[in-house]
Amino acid sequence: MNKSYVFLFLVFSWFTALPALASGRAFAKEPLSGQKVSTEKVFNAKTFTLDNGLLGVVVENHSVPVVTHMIWYKVGAADETPGKSGIAHFLEHLMFKGQSYPGLGKLGPGDFSKIIRSLGGNDNAFTSQDYTAFFQTIASKHLETVMRMEAGRMRGLNLPKDVVDAERLVILEERRQRIDNDPRARFDEQMNEALFPNHPYGTPIIGWFHEMEGLTWEDATSYYKRWYAPNNAILVVSGDVTVDEVKALAQKTYGLIPRVDVPKRARTVSPPFIAKTSVKMTHPVVQEPVFVREYRVPSARENLKDSLALQVLEEIMDGGATSRLYKDLVVEKKVASSVNLSYVSFAWDDSTLSISAVPMDGLTPEQAETAVDDELRTLIKDGVKEEELKDAVLRLQAQAIYARDSVTGPAMVVGYTLVTGSSLDELETWPQLIEGVTAQQVQDVAARLLDPDKPTQTPYVDGYLYPPAKEAEAAPKTQETGQK
Amino acid sequence: MKTRYFLIPVIFLFCALPVFSLTVLAKEQASSDQPSSKQTFIKIQEVDSASGLKAWLVEDHSVPVISMQFGFKDAGSKQDSADKQGLSQLASNTMDEGAGDLESQAFQGELENLSIHLSFSSGRDHFSGELKTLTRNKGRAFELLNLALMKPRFDAEPLERMRVANISRVKGSMTQPDWIASRIQNDKIFEGHPYALNSGGTLTSLKKITADDLHTFMKRLGRNNLRVAVAGDITADELKVELDKIFGSLPQATLPESAPFTVTHPGKTYFHEKDIPQTVIEMSQGGISRKDPDYQIAQVMNFVLGSSGFGSRLTEEVREKRGLTYGIFTYFVDYEDTQVLHVSTSTATSNVNEVIKITREEWKKMIDTAISEKELKDAKNYLIGALPLSLTSTDKIAGLLISIQMDDLPIDYLDQRQQKIEATTIADVQRVAQRLLKPESFTTILVGKKEGIEGAEIVTTLPNVE
Repeated sequence: MNKSYVFLFLVFSWFTALPALASGRAFAKEPLSGQKVSTEKVFNAKTFTLDNGLLGVVVENHSVPVVTHMIWYKVGAADETPGKSGIAHFLEHLMFKGQSYPGLGKLGPGDFSKIIRSLGGNDNAFTSQDYTAFFQTIASKHLETVMRMEAGRMRGLNLPKDVVDAERLVILEERRQRIDNDPRARFDEQMNEALFPNHPYGTPIIGWFHEMEGLTWEDATSYYKRWYAPNNAILVVSGDVTVDEVKALAQKTYGLIPRVDVPKRARTVSPPFIAKTSVKMTHPVVQEPVFVREYRVPSARENLKDSLALQVLEEIMDGGATSRLYKDLVVEKKVASSVNLSYVSFAWDDSTLSISAVPMDGLTPEQAETAVDDELRTLIKDGVKEEELKDAVLRLQAQAIYARDSVTGPAMVVGYTLVTGSSLDELETWPQLIEGVTAQQVQDVAARLLDPDKPTQTPYVDGYLYPPAKEAEAAPKTQETGQK
Repeated sequence: MKTRYFLIPVIFLFCALPVFSLTVLAKEQASSDQPSSKQTFIKIQEVDSASGLKAWLVEDHSVPVISMQFGFKDAGSKQDSADKQGLSQLASNTMDEGAGDLESQAFQGELENLSIHLSFSSGRDHFSGELKTLTRNKGRAFELLNLALMKPRFDAEPLERMRVANISRVKGSMTQPDWIASRIQNDKIFEGHPYALNSGGTLTSLKKITADDLHTFMKRLGRNNLRVAVAGDITADELKVELDKIFGSLPQATLPESAPFTVTHPGKTYFHEKDIPQTVIEMSQGGISRKDPDYQIAQVMNFVLGSSGFGSRLTEEVREKRGLTYGIFTYFVDYEDTQVLHVSTSTATSNVNEVIKITREEWKKMIDTAISEKELKDAKNYLIGALPLSLTSTDKIAGLLISIQMDDLPIDYLDQRQQKIEATTIADVQRVAQRLLKPESFTTILVGKKEGIEGAEIVTTLPNVE
């Protein structure tokens, strides 16, 4: 059984088929040891820049007459004004509600997606802490129409005020569906808030319910006017088209929009952690306890070298059924029924590395935690074997080949990479960069970033989610009600 | 093997339209809703092996990757007995946990270090599998697949581990209101048929399944009920030889004939109480078979009604005009023995009755009045024009081919489908709406708070979970 199927309870669902490689800018100047001379690029992407500052990236793939067209804005939930949580995501919804721009046409509420459907295409959009992206996948012959429409809403959003009230109800329903109906999602929300004190990543992307209720048309349009601009966006097109064609179309469409003065990102910074922090919750619908730990670690942009080492560490610790955590805790020691370690390298500020484990029936989250800690101590003390490292690197490199077997995937990868501040070159040479990671580096990042015996060295938060105490065992007065 | 380095968790991303919609659309496209091609975009070859096995192949040598999907007709969970619910599921999890001389860790280690994706899965009707490999590792990939099919070990340790993982999965599902709603729905609409059982197993039944049961399960997988689809970097001549090497020594499987079944409990509403702010609503009625001459017309109707996300009548009325939900979708499911038309949505407690009322009204409107020229044209353009979107990777292509084969449809199905959609008229859509849509026959499942719920039968204990 593919190990990842075991993790259904661990909530991380994935946006299917969106390959995403990682790399970073901060260490671009630093030579990486062991780098190979191989010059084969992962996607062989081509770029251009329009006079208004819009960066265009094209990944050609002529296997079917289809393109994926994406526009990525370098702004997200973490750039919101305090008290207006959820406005980045609310605006993303409102972007489908009407537009008008000289030379780029006019659309009424809802027309955008309806036109895409009528041309045989699919479209959607998504908001994260650092970026907001809009995309369509469609027959390549319709690319110009799609670019004209997407360019038309870059500065031409034209919202009838009455659509705002209905859409506010929609985002509240979205929050209920994805967060409030699910105790684990609410628990994760509070974990995240504890991990990022005084930093905007601690605020949920979708927003706090009480602030979402008060979001207005003015809030949305002022955020929009401030941040949405050609010089604060990246155009990515992959599929059956050439860079020359895309550039010509981009000039005819996005080229009509002048450059805008966009403010510099101002993110507040967290103070150091001085105490061990944990979040505990007992909830009546939870059936099994879970232990979760989240560390704040460098993103690719902040520290490419550490980020690459963490990617290899992740593969060694939890790449599959024979990797360390699963093999030791689930197969051999029988401490956990599932275990997961994941590190997402693309973020503008700190990334999160999370570890979670479902203890075996009869064991506690604290016992699972002890077993996880022992694994980390072994890693820090003894490091990794050369063979483990070599296998992990090969497996990671194979992913770069599979990533090419897709039209939408490469556009996603390019977007994630560039919009979180890494360079295209780092993406294209990612297999070589991964190969340059040494066993010493892996051991070193474990010691510096993941040491369970130094709780304030790297900020981390432990989480314990408990099912209600069984009636036979619980004294009435100690029955926990938990947070709801 | 995990591939999450290339993935972003969806939990960090908040989309304009529920991702659910994309997966449903993608699944429907892959399984039942494929715009046609006139073979313009893909050339499907039929490959016959020396021993008489067949496969469909789309060659594409642009990326060094091979995707193979295969299915065993009628070998799925409908053959599991009530006291061994979850047998097929557990088999699918354990077949790749050791085979031949390779114990679990050795077998999984080879798959991982060669970056071979091998997995099995069980549906209500069919049992299926998927193999994806880099060209450079294809020889070993095919050997490992052959071992898993012919000589699975079902050793005690991995069997126990997979049992525990499945029990944990069931416990996790019990916290998910949408899963609870589906569980009750299957229990009610399929009552009296094996489809009503919990295909993933119950906390009790999973504990009863033995290695002997798994070995007996393997007899369902035969040459005679096998279907194979391949896309990617392999030639027909090569595949011909590999087919016999991988599947040639499978036995003949003997499985019971399937019998048509009509969904039960029409017009009833069932309610399960949960202290959550949003109620999950699952409505369903009888559907239509993919082999039915009206099937493509029904797809056109469904596009207008509720399958298309933005622009569908239900999304317009429930979400866009009134803000009552994040998503509302309709979709057909075609089982071997029965067919279902589903409506899935969720809304705050106080809006439940309104959402149900609007859904019924839209059903009536579709029956009573003709759709517009524009609606017909947009639906046709999408259903026909979106075909190439489902052909953008080798595994998508193989998935499309296998879905056609599992339903015993012809190799030129995509062409026939395009012609049928193109020929659909407004009158056809209304005729099919009148034939299929029965708003009084909805079986409705509600999971949420009690306030405002009237005339519903209360379900207190979840059926076939414990």
